[in-house]
Amino acid sequence: MAKPKIAFFKFSSCAGCQLSVLNIEPVLLDVLGAIDIRYFVMAKRENHEGPYDIGFVEGAVTSPKELLELKKIREECSVLVAMGTCACFGGLPSIKNYSGFSQKELEEKVYTELWDLKSFPAYGIDYYVKVDYYLRGCAIDLGELVTLIKSALKGINPRFRFHSVCNECKMKENVCLFLTKGKPCMGSVTAAGCGALCPSLNRPCEGCRGPASDCNAASLARSFVEDLGLSKADVVRKFRKYAGNTPEFSKGAEAV
Amino acid sequence: MPVEAFVLPKSELGSFVAKLKADYEVFGPVAKGPKFVFGPVEKAEDMRLDYDTTILPPKKYFHQPEQDLMNFSGVADIAEGKKPVGKRVIFGVHPCDVNGLLSLDKVFLGSYPDPYYKELRDNTVVIALNCVKPCEYGFCASFNTGPEADVGFDLSLTDIGDKFVVVIGSARGKEMAAGLAAAAVEDLVAGKRALRACQHDMTRRIDVGGDLGEFLHQNFDHPVWMEEKEKCLACGSCTAVCPTCYCFAVKDMVDLSLQKGGRTRMWDSCMFYEFSRVALDHIFMPDRTARLKQRMYHKLTYYQQQFNATGCVGCGRCVATCVKHIDPVDVINRIQENPLPAKEVTLYRPPVKIVHTKENPWEPQKAVIKAIKKQTADVNTYTFEFVDPQVRESYTYDNGVFNLISIFGIGESAISISSCADENTGTFDHTVRAVGNVTNALAKMQVGDVVGIRGPYGFGWPMEEMKGKNVLLVAGGIGLAPLRGVIKSIQKNRDQFGNFEILYGSRTPDGMLFTDEYEEWRKIPNTRLYLTVDYVPPGVEWGHNIGVVTTLFDKMTSRKENTIMITCGPDIMMKFVVLDLLKRGWSPEQLYVSLERRMSCGIKKCGNCQMGPVFVCQDGPVFKYADIMNLPGGVF
Repeated sequence: MAKPKIAFFKFSSCAGCQLSVLNIEPVLLDVLGAIDIRYFVMAKRENHEGPYDIGFVEGAVTSPKELLELKKIREECSVLVAMGTCACFGGLPSIKNYSGFSQKELEEKVYTELWDLKSFPAYGIDYYVKVDYYLRGCAIDLGELVTLIKSALKGINPRFRFHSVCNECKMKENVCLFLTKGKPCMGSVTAAGCGALCPSLNRPCEGCRGPASDCNAASLARSFVEDLGLSKADVVRKFRKYAGNTPEFSKGAEAV
Repeated sequence: MPVEAFVLPKSELGSFVAKLKADYEVFGPVAKGPKFVFGPVEKAEDMRLDYDTTILPPKKYFHQPEQDLMNFSGVADIAEGKKPVGKRVIFGVHPCDVNGLLSLDKVFLGSYPDPYYKELRDNTVVIALNCVKPCEYGFCASFNTGPEADVGFDLSLTDIGDKFVVVIGSARGKEMAAGLAAAAVEDLVAGKRALRACQHDMTRRIDVGGDLGEFLHQNFDHPVWMEEKEKCLACGSCTAVCPTCYCFAVKDMVDLSLQKGGRTRMWDSCMFYEFSRVALDHIFMPDRTARLKQRMYHKLTYYQQQFNATGCVGCGRCVATCVKHIDPVDVINRIQENPLPAKEVTLYRPPVKIVHTKENPWEPQKAVIKAIKKQTADVNTYTFEFVDPQVRESYTYDNGVFNLISIFGIGESAISISSCADENTGTFDHTVRAVGNVTNALAKMQVGDVVGIRGPYGFGWPMEEMKGKNVLLVAGGIGLAPLRGVIKSIQKNRDQFGNFEILYGSRTPDGMLFTDEYEEWRKIPNTRLYLTVDYVPPGVEWGHNIGVVTTLFDKMTSRKENTIMITCGPDIMMKFVVLDLLKRGWSPEQLYVSLERRMSCGIKKCGNCQMGPVFVCQDGPVFKYADIMNLPGGVF
């Protein structure tokens, strides 16, 4: 079997997910032995044109130029993976969608040279093209990345399960930050897969992996206000931070 | 038998634990921040025997969050690599958790005893610690699972100030108590008084003044459930911390060679949306209210019906861990304040079938593909033969039951047997549509390839009841596969059955299975075959009925008298088949349906196929409609 041709692309994002790809040290060499990375500007000097078997796309789409590029990438890749929360849901760049400013006002706030600037609200890539798999998280979980690569090599669906972070947190027997310390942890509505990384380090979950399946964000938002005394603006900020574009987290932001 | 009791002065606890350490690994309650967990114990002072409750119950030492089932190499070979299990003591287990383990024993050590659980259980000593102070959320007094443990321990301790009263619960416990002084009468009295005082102080209680199961069945549609659904975050914390929850998912993991790996089971939760997900992303329990009720009802009544064991031991962990404070005591109290009108209810009782296997029920047997026959664009019939001649000869099955087809590195899939139980050929067929990971991998295989198979599981079609009666067979789509054996059995023993009619519907003509066998079926004496499709594409010739399968009821000659109807197909089809026949005056006693749910383990362990109190894998998959029509959540 020929090694699958892999490509990594970047749109509006911090490039942190791409950087983490290079951090899978314990298995990096084995992975490199199993795949053929054809395009990875961050890591390689020589990059090749498509088509590719699997394309990993990092970042949100927020300009017409990026959109055209994305459509081309979709045509070139048999399997398209949204890599990281920006590509999945819009991520941090999507905060601007809910800032209350118009696109033009936002452009003026950030840039001085506006004559060649065209931008629009930030969305995940599946707003525009079909996405086959999602690797959520800010940044992505490397275990999931390796699982996805193995599944692709085997030709099967990895069938990730996006249930709550709470479940993983309970497995680690962490003391509940919400109930014991009154911290506004979003683990109960956020998709697992990170191994409850933040709560295990005593930091409340920020919801970076986006909504868990059939989560009840509205109910949690009410608890933030009623039980923990968060201001409504704080609650809105929490739910609009990483995955404000999703209908699930929108319900949380709109519940208070 | 008089209770054998001793005393252990607290000053001697250190040497007692030190003595245990010589032979055992010791675990006990230790502090974690402001909470407690069970963890490894080096010396007695590490333990906090004044703990109220732990985050996870000691269940984690028996039904482990992750349990390796087997290592494999290739698609069908089991590889060596079992880790040895050491001898352990779990010190200071509260009575609720002791009872939780007794309930889990019913699940894991009943039918198809689970070797992994058994090994851990056999190698572990349980030292119970009775409660002399109620915990904040516990309500064990409701179920008689506290404050004192009656059975299920090797030793039990009761704190009476400067010493513990020690009661012996097993021969192993007796050995451990050797050297302790016998308890004086006043010690026993002090122990009894402490426990009675604790019981008196327990104010949280579920008491409906009658049978809790009946009460819950009567109030299945109570508005309280919708209120709780609005609150519930579906996070699954309640199930993770529950001492009796057993549901798990099985996953194959491979290394980068893609050939070697392990099959592992890990805790799962009925609260999760994906819990009942099957290929093509169909989900059997998408509604959060249904999932919330499944959990509550499972704890408070279904567990009792399924395993004759208490599903809730009143430990209060689900309340303590819930961000929204959803509390069974509060929910039941609110229903009691304003209950729905009482009505007659019949609680489901599963058929009793205990299977004891000497072999590990998890290990698939190697089977070779002898033939592959294409049925439709995405459906093939595979003929399998077990590689081991002993397995081949001892393997028998009934029409309508299923096997689990295992492809290591990908997973297992429950598939009905489509060959005839009365044909003794040493082989068996599976007719499989390629839709998910396992079935697609199977579709890529060739004659001569080897897979793993374990089974058969469940109850099949009622061949004995059908004898001497007319038979109406209604099938839809791939649902004809588990019924093909029935057709062949009737053909073989034609004089044992009356009038026989087959109604078969498919979406389109090219989706029909076993088309080359129809001529033969039509030749069976006193048998008629009616075909129908939902839709005929332009240019396709079709000389039969068009419409859903129930439109054939007006054409058939079958009448309700002395007839048994058997059906298999999509849920929505079976629903209207059953409704239509009931409307025509048929009795639920004469209707048999084959249900499909997410069957994963096949041996009544993993919980994925639960439908209310029903385990589809072992109570079914074929059910008499009369037995399940009163399920609280409905059937279809």
